[in-house]
Amino acid sequence: MPVDVVADVRGERLHLLPERAVWWDRAATLVVADLHWGKAATFRAAGIAIPPGATADDLRRLDSALRRTAARRLIVLGDLFHARAGRRSDATLAELRRWRTGAADIEILLVRGNHDRRAGDPPAELGIACVDPPVDAPPFALHHEARPEPGRYTLAGHVHPGVTLRGAGRQRERLPCFVVGPTRMILPAFGSFTGTAELDDEAEDRRFVIADDEVLAVG
Amino acid sequence: MSPRPPSGIGRNFQEPDGPSPAHKSKLPGQLRRAQKKLVDAELSPPSAADGGGETAAPRRRRVAIRHASDPEETIRRWFTSKRWKPFPFQQEAWDAYRAGRSGLIHASTGTGKTYAAWLGPVLEWLRDYPSTRRQKMAAPLRVLWITPLRALAADTEAALRAPVEALGLPWTVETRTGDTAQKVRARQRERLPTALVTTPESLSLLLTRADAARLFDDLRCVVVDEWHELLATKRGTQTELALARLRRLVPGLRVWGLSATLGNLDVAREALLGHDDGGVPNLGQLIRGAVPKELIVDAVIPETIDRFPWAGQIGLTLLPRVLAAVGEARTALVFTNTRSTSEIWYQAMIASGVPWADRIALHHGSLDRARRERVEQGIRSGALRCVVCTSSLDLGVDFTPVDRVLQIGSPKGVARLVQRAGRSGHRPGAVSRVTCVPTHALELVDIAAVRDALAAGAIESRPPVERPLDLLAQHAVTIALGGGFRADELYAEVRTTRAYRALTPDEWQWVLDFITHGGETLRAYPEYAKVIVEDGVYRVTSRMVALRHRLSIGTIVSESALTVRYLTGATLGTVEESFLARLSPKDRFTFAGKVLEFVRIRDMTAWVRKAKSATGAVPRWSGARMPLSPELALAVRVKLDEARRGRYDAPEMEAVRPILELQAEWSRLPAPDQLLIERTRTREGYHLFFYPVEGRLVHEGMAALFAYRIAQIAPISFTLAANDYGFELLSPERPPLEEALEAGLLSPTHLFNDIPASLNAAELARRQFREIARVAGLIFTGYPGGPRTVKQLQASSTLLYDVFAKYDPDNLLLHQAHREVLERQLEQSRLGRTLERLAAAERLVVDTERPTPLAFPLLVDRAREQVSSEKFADRVRRLVQPLELAAGRGTSRRQSLSSARRPARR
Repeated sequence: MPVDVVADVRGERLHLLPERAVWWDRAATLVVADLHWGKAATFRAAGIAIPPGATADDLRRLDSALRRTAARRLIVLGDLFHARAGRRSDATLAELRRWRTGAADIEILLVRGNHDRRAGDPPAELGIACVDPPVDAPPFALHHEARPEPGRYTLAGHVHPGVTLRGAGRQRERLPCFVVGPTRMILPAFGSFTGTAELDDEAEDRRFVIADDEVLAVG
Repeated sequence: MSPRPPSGIGRNFQEPDGPSPAHKSKLPGQLRRAQKKLVDAELSPPSAADGGGETAAPRRRRVAIRHASDPEETIRRWFTSKRWKPFPFQQEAWDAYRAGRSGLIHASTGTGKTYAAWLGPVLEWLRDYPSTRRQKMAAPLRVLWITPLRALAADTEAALRAPVEALGLPWTVETRTGDTAQKVRARQRERLPTALVTTPESLSLLLTRADAARLFDDLRCVVVDEWHELLATKRGTQTELALARLRRLVPGLRVWGLSATLGNLDVAREALLGHDDGGVPNLGQLIRGAVPKELIVDAVIPETIDRFPWAGQIGLTLLPRVLAAVGEARTALVFTNTRSTSEIWYQAMIASGVPWADRIALHHGSLDRARRERVEQGIRSGALRCVVCTSSLDLGVDFTPVDRVLQIGSPKGVARLVQRAGRSGHRPGAVSRVTCVPTHALELVDIAAVRDALAAGAIESRPPVERPLDLLAQHAVTIALGGGFRADELYAEVRTTRAYRALTPDEWQWVLDFITHGGETLRAYPEYAKVIVEDGVYRVTSRMVALRHRLSIGTIVSESALTVRYLTGATLGTVEESFLARLSPKDRFTFAGKVLEFVRIRDMTAWVRKAKSATGAVPRWSGARMPLSPELALAVRVKLDEARRGRYDAPEMEAVRPILELQAEWSRLPAPDQLLIERTRTREGYHLFFYPVEGRLVHEGMAALFAYRIAQIAPISFTLAANDYGFELLSPERPPLEEALEAGLLSPTHLFNDIPASLNAAELARRQFREIARVAGLIFTGYPGGPRTVKQLQASSTLLYDVFAKYDPDNLLLHQAHREVLERQLEQSRLGRTLERLAAAERLVVDTERPTPLAFPLLVDRAREQVSSEKFADRVRRLVQPLELAAGRGTSRRQSLSSARRPARR
């Protein structure tokens, strides 16, 4: 049973889900960032042996979030495909087609990110609308790389935020996190074959880490 | 997008005979062979590639030595001209070579091993070609000389060249390493010199050439210098594989190794010479070099014991005494155990105000090569009075002016100290002396112990690596590039190495599967192709795969390092990224003996300027921290036992006496048949200290094992610390020690299950995977020169490890990571023997009020491992708790954002 955190942002309720997604309940919209589909396939195409499986797992996780929230719309804040080679991978595309057929009633919008610009838009058959940022979705502005928009609260991805937790006895653990500030929120990378980056500490920011199936505030 | 190297860089690294069939057809083998014949017959002028400047022809020098009709007499004349006389062991080596034998020559540094190996082939030439001195073209490649360090190559080349020039042989002697200039490489591509000095990596690169077989047509002999340095590393395994290849290509090839004395010389010889096709070790001669030089070990002992801080950190207290010792010498080498220590001591020495402070230099492996070479030159010429250095100066190079060697910190091992001591009086028969300088009170015990171990003739063994599959995968791709291979033939070939003598058909099949389609046959990875099979021949056809493979050949893995450069352009050296990443602009740090101000990181370069202030942080390199060797650890246990019985017979022991007596007073000093366990509590939590005195590696493994076993009794998290004397388990709750001891905490049984189980938690395997991933070609660090990195192909080794563990858990590279941790990091067999010793030992559990003198160094050690049996989320929650409290204060600040945690389940 997943444990979420609810944040009230500009009068809207945003649920931070341990599936590495944000659920905007009033708009029946699930928001994710940095899926990096086909990353392993890109490596393989270059002669680097990475086992397949991460994409399937990520799709299962996406399904679980969509089902749990009964979302009607999915917004991807950039970096849907990792690279051109991954977008062209037959195996990956077959997997995605299967998944899309099972989630045919979901409307999908991609806000293009830096990887998308190089990889190119997804094939039309996947039924994914693509737009350049910013996308205005009051009270939110949707970006890939976080930028302030007057009168709006920015939702973005791109940096794959993570937190290293230190505890008694100098224990350490590194986890993906949501970074929530007064004017913008940065989502964790959704793709599991991605790394994390430590962000500079800003006093205004709160962080919420994902530990297994729970989201926990870490300040 | 297809990643392409920046222009001018790719050419450096790409050998001429690319894998493209189209390219091959332009230069058919027949034509090349014909060309070579022409060259050999001296009918052809030097090829166009030789144009300008140097030529491949031997240098024209006045022939200093008149040749006699007996080649040995000619050699004796050359020796006489140098005022030398051949040693009997040199004659023995020449005779063995003449008889067609291979072998291993062992002796301490500076006793004439080089000429014992080198003059065999020279004599052979003199016999074969009594009158070829007027030959214009140099003879083709006859001798390969493998050296472990690029830095040694230039000196070796000079040493080999001396007799060649004096005798006027039509030979060329050249170096080929990663540092070799493009022009020389281009010439060598056309024609290799008569004797080639090279590294294992550069030799593997030669084997990737499609015409590899032809290159070695005239090869007679391979000499592996400093074989003891390579033996216990994957570079040694790489050398074994290359030698197996060469033995196959060149029937009757003679292989000679040069080594320092080791505890396992038979194994060293077996690894060098390999096995025959029937699995029987090839015979070879073991030749013992000149009688070991006399070695004196003494110490700088603090004059008064009350100058010790109570915890025993001496630090730089002994600096004036070290300066005095250096001041007496003509040239002194001051060895340290880590690069950080060398920076600290160098800074302190130049700031000391001694009149020769401007003739002190620093030398370690992170410094720019040109800088290091200047320092080496300064030692040879006698211009420098003192060099503060690390293991970077352990090897080879002849530093005759050096007449004093100091060792800062514990010597850690007997052989290592002998090696370092040998840097002084670098002449056969001269006396070596080494003065140890403790940086910590307990190191006085190590120093007294090393003297005992030396007197007892205890010398360390270096066990070779057993069949690492990452390296085999790399080698298979190398051979696939170098003309291709048939599976059964290469299998038979690699099984003639000692490292892969027990390679199973299944493991071999796995390697073939890995390089051809990623996973096992039935679970091929889609889109993956590295090596392809055509008519049963394994080949590489993709130019990109070929280029990346050549760039990533090599087994030395260092943390990704950034070049450190002044804004004005001069390069200082390299520092590990993890250190630089923590710096902010304007932060100061000490490097290359200078205080620098960090400006920014760009293009894989850390840009710096000179700092105005004189103090700065010293980078902590994660570089090798040597553990106490088993031989020295045993000697230390004996010394501690002597102290327990009130016997302090060495001056070092007398000096450390107050501290050991304090230990005995607050707790106990253990006898060899006792295990001391201390228990104490501080603000940090509950500490358990164990003192097996077996060296840091064994202690690390034991710490993980004990943490795991205690956690089986009650859910509890530990942080671990280990040093050469013992280890610490620290936990927030009181650990059930008595119960654990009762349940077999020290038992050597179930090790095979318990160690991997504790490993998973300790994440050691994950770290080990970094090296494996890189060797096996899973991590590509980019093209040289940096800016054009291949971002979309980069992933951290820990991420890769997680992906494999989840989606291909049977991947043999993962198993290898575990095995390497067990065998090499944790020294499982040594751990097992230690546990057997401890299981029979009397246990002394002592509750102490505060950390004891033995415990305190562990407290300050920051290398921590973690082991936990708690549910992950529970553990994170506990990590979070104090942070949550702090964070709770901040919530009300932001009206727009409130957060509500739903109640946790349960």
